[in-house]
Amino acid sequence: MTSAPSPSPQKMGEGERRAGGGWGLDHRATFRWLIFPPFVWLGLFLIAPLLLMAAFSFRSDLRGDLLQVWTPTLAQYARLAEVGSYWRLLGISALMALGVAVAAAILAYPLAYFLAFHGGAATGLYLVLLLVPFWTSYLLRVMAWKLMLGTEGVINSFLQYIHLIEEPLPALLYNRTAVIITLIYVWIPFAMLPILAALQRIEWSLFEAAADLGARPFHQFTRITLPLSLPGVFAAFFMVFIPTVGEYVTPILVGGSSGSMYGNIIQDFFTKAANWPLGSALSMIMLLATLLFVFIAIRLINLRELLE
Amino acid sequence: METKLSMFFVTRCLALVLALALTACGAPAPAPATEAPPAELTGSLTVLDWAGYDAEDFWTDFKNTYPNVNVNFEIGASDADIYGKMKAGDQADIFHPYTGWLQFYVEEGLVEEIDTSKLTNWDKVPENFKEIGQFNGKQYFIPWDWGFTSILYRTDRVPEGIDSWSALMDPRFAGHLSMWDDGPGAVTVSSYIHEYDETAITEDQLAAIKEEWIAQRSLNLFYWAGEPELVDAMKSGDIWVAYAWQGAYALLLGEGVPVAYANPKEGRNSWVGVYGIRKGTENYELALKFLDSKLAEATGNNVVNLFYYGHSNQDVMTGITDETLKQAFSIDDPAILEKTNFTPNLTAEQRDAWTAMWAEVKAAP
Amino acid sequence: MNRNRAIFPLSIYYFSLAALLYLPIAVMFLFSLNANTSLSFPLRGLTLDWYQKLFASTPILRAARNSLVVALGSSFAATLLGTTVSILYLRYQFRAKNLLLALAVLPLIVPYIVLAVALLILFEVLNVSRSLLTVGIAHSVVALPYVVLIVGSRLAGFGSSLEEAAMDLGADYPTTLRRIVLPLIYPAMISAWLTAFTVSFDEFALALFLAGTQPTFPVYLFSQLRFANRLPIMIALAVLLMIGTLTLVFIAERIRRTK
Repeated sequence: MTSAPSPSPQKMGEGERRAGGGWGLDHRATFRWLIFPPFVWLGLFLIAPLLLMAAFSFRSDLRGDLLQVWTPTLAQYARLAEVGSYWRLLGISALMALGVAVAAAILAYPLAYFLAFHGGAATGLYLVLLLVPFWTSYLLRVMAWKLMLGTEGVINSFLQYIHLIEEPLPALLYNRTAVIITLIYVWIPFAMLPILAALQRIEWSLFEAAADLGARPFHQFTRITLPLSLPGVFAAFFMVFIPTVGEYVTPILVGGSSGSMYGNIIQDFFTKAANWPLGSALSMIMLLATLLFVFIAIRLINLRELLE
Repeated sequence: METKLSMFFVTRCLALVLALALTACGAPAPAPATEAPPAELTGSLTVLDWAGYDAEDFWTDFKNTYPNVNVNFEIGASDADIYGKMKAGDQADIFHPYTGWLQFYVEEGLVEEIDTSKLTNWDKVPENFKEIGQFNGKQYFIPWDWGFTSILYRTDRVPEGIDSWSALMDPRFAGHLSMWDDGPGAVTVSSYIHEYDETAITEDQLAAIKEEWIAQRSLNLFYWAGEPELVDAMKSGDIWVAYAWQGAYALLLGEGVPVAYANPKEGRNSWVGVYGIRKGTENYELALKFLDSKLAEATGNNVVNLFYYGHSNQDVMTGITDETLKQAFSIDDPAILEKTNFTPNLTAEQRDAWTAMWAEVKAAP
Repeated sequence: MNRNRAIFPLSIYYFSLAALLYLPIAVMFLFSLNANTSLSFPLRGLTLDWYQKLFASTPILRAARNSLVVALGSSFAATLLGTTVSILYLRYQFRAKNLLLALAVLPLIVPYIVLAVALLILFEVLNVSRSLLTVGIAHSVVALPYVVLIVGSRLAGFGSSLEEAAMDLGADYPTTLRRIVLPLIYPAMISAWLTAFTVSFDEFALALFLAGTQPTFPVYLFSQLRFANRLPIMIALAVLLMIGTLTLVFIAERIRRTK
């Protein structure tokens, strides 16, 4: 009556109905129940809208009914191909995002380490304490942050007070650097989470064994902790990099006239120009570029191997 | 087909009528129609309006007259956003666009004609404000709020004063300039400076305008999107010279900051906000009552006193006593409107071209 | 443990960063007591007026409540769906496996503004009027990748041997999931749920496009920012929300300690 446990981890308990209660669904049968909700949800609320946007990028203008059938045209893409500065801006935004993601992951690592190994019983508290500021309005927090960075703000007043500088530094705000610094600052607590999750599943016994074999703490870190936490670090990197390419709120708040990112251009075409076709075309380009990057990066890192 | 009102005509008549109004020589207002306000009237209205206009102060007459009518607000973030939502089939009964965008709604059949005979406050609106909402001889919108655009500057930083729109490009103010984040606004400023015809900008002119604003970008500290950020920056002294509406001017005056509102030799700009009724709404009569109340005095007074914007009810404007506001609206200068250029209506091509130009300014290296 | 020597610098690092995170909050707190309407020094006298006005203002409280409702609903949905995706990816083999993962992570790449407009059109087509529900749906989609990454990271660390053992002992798979897998990954689920909640609570772009007549707090805040004189009340609310949340957190910690 009982089937022998099969060696392959994927083929668990097939077929037979168990006497152990529950719905009697085996591993394979449960699959049908599990697969349905995510695919439907994502299909309806992610894929369908994106296809609509893609369709819009092939529209010449917004005249007429919003949902009429229109003849596809490459006019928008042709227009974009002419304007070199958009491509340049996309590249710059990607570089900025890269810098932010790397810095955030690096700066978040010690936090995750602290929580994973020294948080003890209060780990949950420490974790939540870092997330709570995000439940206040981002707009208000950055307004207060701007206040600190401005020419008459706290930082400049302090630096002048201790006579490190004579004139206030205008360079702390309203430029690309301010955008990068603010973004790193905002992302660190989020980047910490996947790293923490990865660190938490490292088994203590590994460290004990290593210590018994004479490994010093630093070697324990480089040989055990760091490699095993890498999936979390990569997850953190992607989690920060990808949305930051399309970031637009922070450049508006602290970027000044020359701190615009690619996302600002897209946003402007939708909210100021009512030019959905052109905005959609810009978005499609960004989507494809990011997908390409992720595809290449995954090939390089072979993420699947790490996750399994 | 489409009535592109000659802006000269509009300006002249508006100047004449408002100058008369401001010198209190206007025609006497006819007695308001007396009808008992049905305080038991029930129903529901949805208004697609800008952020902040859902405050009861801005529809207080309606609230008091029809306390049992439910009014809901949807927020639109910009003219483009409101236009997009209406196109997407938003079910709001009433919406609030500004000059420059009105003809799109008419062209695309999104707006209902307004039966002005049912508006008791209609006669208090000057003729040329009325005309701003007219297309093909039909009244599609009622004008509501209006104001100036000019150059706002700190008198302690610019003691010699400012007399031209070119101040926004002046290298003397490098790092202390702030322009409004708007492509058509930028084209307007350039057309004032170089005396282009705003309604007929050529491709060459647009290219020159783009180069000009790319150069200006290195002098510009930040582009402002809302008045509070501009007010804060002028107050702290980060910004000395800015493209601004008179609301910011009045606010800063009220706080005692030394500022002045320029009368550039090319003339100020003015804009008007209007309300329209969605085509196909089931609440047409109720919407008319709402629009009528919007024109009433208590509402108008709130617009002027709380928001420092003008109101289309001329009784409200003539009744202003506050010195700060009088200064802000240059009420003591009867010739002000003769020196004012009103925002023309754009074509869809112009809108697309000018907004694309601005995006390229922002994206430029 | 030799790692103890690292405690001191690490904890300094943690607390410095936490202080930096809270510094703007402290500044905001100062301004909520400031008798002036603009955000500038010097402060002009202390007052509790803004807090008073806040409680008299139903629209603000309603907006805060709307945000709470949307965040709770969307984070719950995202956590469920994201955990399901993690289990599907790490415990099954099927042809569309990588497609599923790519789809689940895709929302990270899509600019919010694009998704917002796209969903707006979709809901028009489906004749669904905009409301807190439509905002919640959008939020659940954008929060999903975070859940997958966080829960997936944790689940990946556990092989399926425990589950196989349970099934051998007679449990069916749903029970196995419930009694073996979920307890193993539930810390990550909590972490992911918190992240999803945070993503939703302060989200602005999607809410602005997809909210109907009931604004969420960020949308309402944005609307009030047109009026400089409303700003201090909004700050007062933000500070109160913070204080309230922190209090809850400390109470929860207290309770946990006494157990």
